[in-house]
Amino acid sequence: MAPLRILVVDDSVVIRKILSETLSSDPDIEVVGTAGDGRIGLAKIAAYEHELLVYGTEALSRIPGLRLIGTAREKAAVLSFVMDGIHPHDIGTVLDRQGIAVRTGHHCAQPVMDRFGVPATARASLALYNTFAEIDALVAGLGKVKEIFS
Amino acid sequence: MVDDLYQEIIIDHSKRPRNCHPMADANRKAEGYNPLCGDELKLYLKIENDIVKDVSFVGSGCAISTASASLMTESLKGKSREESLKLLEKFHELLTTDTPVTQELGKLVVFCGVRDYPARVKCATLAWHTLKSALTNSGEPVSTE
Repeated sequence: MAPLRILVVDDSVVIRKILSETLSSDPDIEVVGTAGDGRIGLAKIAAYEHELLVYGTEALSRIPGLRLIGTAREKAAVLSFVMDGIHPHDIGTVLDRQGIAVRTGHHCAQPVMDRFGVPATARASLALYNTFAEIDALVAGLGKVKEIFS
Repeated sequence: MVDDLYQEIIIDHSKRPRNCHPMADANRKAEGYNPLCGDELKLYLKIENDIVKDVSFVGSGCAISTASASLMTESLKGKSREESLKLLEKFHELLTTDTPVTQELGKLVVFCGVRDYPARVKCATLAWHTLKSALTNSGEPVSTE
């Protein structure tokens, strides 16, 4: 299992150092950075999530028959998508069995999805605890989805 | 891995659903919805002397719900109303309990993998809920919610 990714946020440089060193001594934890206050901490998290989003957007865009829904430049690190001829719930179940958690359905956004005629999507939601390798795993998992339903 | 759920016959029926067309001379109709998935289904039945002479459906949904509707239509032809409702009961048992698989379900046993995926039971039962509505003629569109 990938180590837990932690950003240490504290206004004392001494505490930041002690916490970082103590946490890093646990092989299951990776300290990915530090910040002196919450504002800087959140900005660092947002910057990392945006990197994941850019990487994921490029990776999913390369999959034939996959369409990303919502590609605004300034958006949270979520990747909603549909695949030709494969229902999102079937995508979700096959990914689930490979240890990949996505959400499927209308995501509590029925009016807007009705408006655009999309009954359901699959959605990967990325955060600080996700890695680039996990996006690669998602892409491989979607390969398996296509294999089953092609 | 997922082959226990998506057996070949399920994939086949989801891609090439049987009896998938409207029926002009149907004497029973019902509609079913699964709002969570966006699945919808219209079921047409022609019943003569209490026997299902013909049955068809139209609708859109996931592989499980489409295959379930398709295989259901194949299983119902020639059955009486009571036999059809009995089959529904057996099918529901197959999906929701650990009871041993019985022969009387025929091809429908391919859905036994669904019992390991509680979130997908609604997909597999949509057509059957709609059938119950058509046979009991409550007239209300059914929803799995």
